[in-house]
Amino acid sequence: MPKRKGIGDGGRKLRQLLEEKKRLLEESGCYAGITRPHVLRDDPIKTELFHSRIMSALIAGRETCKLISGSPYVREVAELCMGLYTPEGDNIVQSTGIQVHIRLMGDNITWMIENNYEDDVGINDGDLFLANDPVIAGVHAADLYDLLPVFWEGELVAWVCTVIMEMDIGAVSPGCMPTTAVERGADGMKFTCEKIGWNDRIRRDFEIRIELGLDLADLFLLDRKGAVAANIRVREEVKNVIREFGLDYFKKASGELIEEERRNQIARIKQRTVPGRYHDVVPFEIYMASVPTSWLPAKKDTLRLIPIRMDILPEGRVVLDFDGIGEWGWHPFNPTPKALWGALSISVVQTLSYDGRGNLGSLLPFEIVQPRVDSLFNPSQIKKLATGNPWPSMIDVFSLWCGMLGTSFYMRGFREETFNYVSGSGWELAGYDQYGNKRPMMAGGPGCFGAGATGVCDGVDTGGWVATPETDVGNWEVWELFVPEMFMSRMLEPYSVGYGKYRSGLSMPTMEMLHRLTIGIGSGAIGCAHDRIIPNLGLFGGYPGGKRNTFMVRYHNFQELIDKRLPLIHEIGHPREFLNYKYADILNLPHIPPTIEVRDKDLLISDNGSAGGLGDPIDRDPALQKADLDNSLTTEEITRNVYCIEADYDEKARQWRIDEQATRKLREAKRKERLSRGMPVEQWWQKARQRLLDKDLDPLLTEMYGSSMKLSENFTREFKDFWGLPSDFAF
Amino acid sequence: MSYSKSDLKDLYNGKLPWTKIKEIMSQPKDDDRFEKYIEILQERVPWPERILLPLGEHIYIVERNRERIVKCDCGHEFGDYRRNWKLSALVFVRDTREKLEEVYPGVRCPDPRLCEVREFYCPGCGALLKVESVPVGCPIIFDFLPDLDAFYREWLHKPLSGEKEFTDMSHEVTLAWQLKHG
Repeated sequence: MPKRKGIGDGGRKLRQLLEEKKRLLEESGCYAGITRPHVLRDDPIKTELFHSRIMSALIAGRETCKLISGSPYVREVAELCMGLYTPEGDNIVQSTGIQVHIRLMGDNITWMIENNYEDDVGINDGDLFLANDPVIAGVHAADLYDLLPVFWEGELVAWVCTVIMEMDIGAVSPGCMPTTAVERGADGMKFTCEKIGWNDRIRRDFEIRIELGLDLADLFLLDRKGAVAANIRVREEVKNVIREFGLDYFKKASGELIEEERRNQIARIKQRTVPGRYHDVVPFEIYMASVPTSWLPAKKDTLRLIPIRMDILPEGRVVLDFDGIGEWGWHPFNPTPKALWGALSISVVQTLSYDGRGNLGSLLPFEIVQPRVDSLFNPSQIKKLATGNPWPSMIDVFSLWCGMLGTSFYMRGFREETFNYVSGSGWELAGYDQYGNKRPMMAGGPGCFGAGATGVCDGVDTGGWVATPETDVGNWEVWELFVPEMFMSRMLEPYSVGYGKYRSGLSMPTMEMLHRLTIGIGSGAIGCAHDRIIPNLGLFGGYPGGKRNTFMVRYHNFQELIDKRLPLIHEIGHPREFLNYKYADILNLPHIPPTIEVRDKDLLISDNGSAGGLGDPIDRDPALQKADLDNSLTTEEITRNVYCIEADYDEKARQWRIDEQATRKLREAKRKERLSRGMPVEQWWQKARQRLLDKDLDPLLTEMYGSSMKLSENFTREFKDFWGLPSDFAF
Repeated sequence: MSYSKSDLKDLYNGKLPWTKIKEIMSQPKDDDRFEKYIEILQERVPWPERILLPLGEHIYIVERNRERIVKCDCGHEFGDYRRNWKLSALVFVRDTREKLEEVYPGVRCPDPRLCEVREFYCPGCGALLKVESVPVGCPIIFDFLPDLDAFYREWLHKPLSGEKEFTDMSHEVTLAWQLKHG
């Protein structure tokens, strides 16, 4: 067979271009060896025109996709994003949307190049590729990447990619993020950068496979058509840009956009943070004992510790290290090392690179130390494992990471940028819908989390979701058409709050009542790492928000309640009294509930706690608390017990009054109480140490620490050093 | 881009409306922020030592003679900044349901078999400096050890005198406790 000419620049093979890019970065420290960027600087107006043309093409493409798609996940939640990539897979510009995938879509392109797609599979103008295998690159299999090459006069000059989250990929019930999946096969369909069409058309045999393979085939295929149309629209606009600006400018400007962003990111880090070493920990609670799964070794409960160390180096680089993380397990929550980049990407664009220029360059100053082999973040058995739900641990890790970075902003004086966020669980359903079809049903729930406090004001109510610009699941009326359920209320929850001088925002529990469901099951979706342990989200004396809950309420006799006009549940109310409701059985489930049977008129509640407060609560300005009282965002009990503010309600004026003198006395008494009940840490250390020596800990904890010790000598040494444990100590 | 000290004071005192805060957040960042920040903080504290870096709402790393120590605005001193200041604080640990429910009532309460909430107070004034929510048995977290010399020398271009090694010295404290208590 005659040797084929390469499709890359100058007739070279893509693999050659990829190796050269890597070499140039290593040798020069600059993207593509661009040590003296000048093309963009020489003509800033032209640069802005160039960038905005591409950016607007991507945003327009994203909107095109939303118009074609039929999925509420695309139309309501807007779980999609687009990006333009170099031939080697380096992101140049990305649209608005779920910007998790800056690097991951490019990693799929790189994987195709490394696996010689150029010769063995063929990459031609109009070819359509599809990927969703996190073993290659991605977070979970529900994220589908549609990849389209852009050719100019026979040369591959770019890639356009769209990511969409799908509600059905043929996974075991309840659907796209199944908690019951522990083995790879249960994940559903996997597309390993598969060529699903050519000449801009999806293959008919691929469509048949989907039509026969998925319950929600129509939605899946409409999403593909939306993505393909969006990609084509962007491709054609990129060709217009090349026609107008010239290919040489396109290539040089694309490279410089990445290199300039790398430099800008380092400049931001140096301007806004403080170099040094930051620490935090996430305990990941994995309750699988009651999850129905056929691979029986999976049926056990475990905890895994995830220590986070962030080093901000004097040269402006940031190194993340999870040394001390425990082992992987048979559950769907094991992220791959590449998936970590997805979680970092979304966090970076929300904290540092939010000016619309975020691209691969935003990530180049970052390094994630490869997690230990056989740890939760790097399972050697990953090809055998399900990867349906790796978000919980990563979301909590990066919510704390935002707090670490926010701490840094605070110390540097940018207190207004201090921020952390929180996640929680939603319900995922499967069963017969109101139209008589059996299918997966992604239900509501996620979102509506109270954002962490800033260093200058309270956190934004229900504003703590960072994955997409939308902080909830969109219009519930649309979801009610799609899922057999009725949403019962939207009530801000005062006890969800992380208290502090500045409090977190309030969360809003989701209450969905199943309506016209015949046969169904439900389980948790997305979720968070913490359940019985609340996340360490308080800053500088602020408290983390309260425990997050998932409830299933089964009314004893729903029709009787309606007939007699007795109260249904519409809010959590006082958290001490919620479980006392007498007309129903209320199950308080693990935060990512195992699969259970659900019935018509059951009420499913995702009760999400909020992120962290900032500062000592008794430093809170009483005027802020009065405003919260007047707006019913807090209670008299919280005001008195947590903030030590004395207030009473003026019936005549219909507002709250602050008693400043009584407040001063309460606060003084609180300080004295603290000084009296607080003990020197040395004294507490002795008691806590003895408890460890006696191994007087819950077995889940001893197994958790033992697992971390098994994988890390550093963790073992530091743990023993802190507690003064003998060298032969083991759990 | 620069803001007046007066505007920044209002920002830090929580006196700016959200619309103005949002405007500041949306603008490019001001390069002289840290210098003005330190000036404002220095004017607030009742003692003369130079503030090198704030570590929270009440505590700072300050320069005292040739030492760098952590100090509360009430005047209480915690020792060398390279030792986790929490080890020199008072601690109150919410490790029972009763203690946790004071803050997290009913269904908001974590499980004391797995979780404890540690409150670190200043021994001088009783200010709540940090709340830690961690698994039982977790070592106290050293939230942040700044590389102060690199920060001042390479980022601010104002090198500090008496350079200190960038190293975590917290283990010295727990080692001394171990030797003392066996």
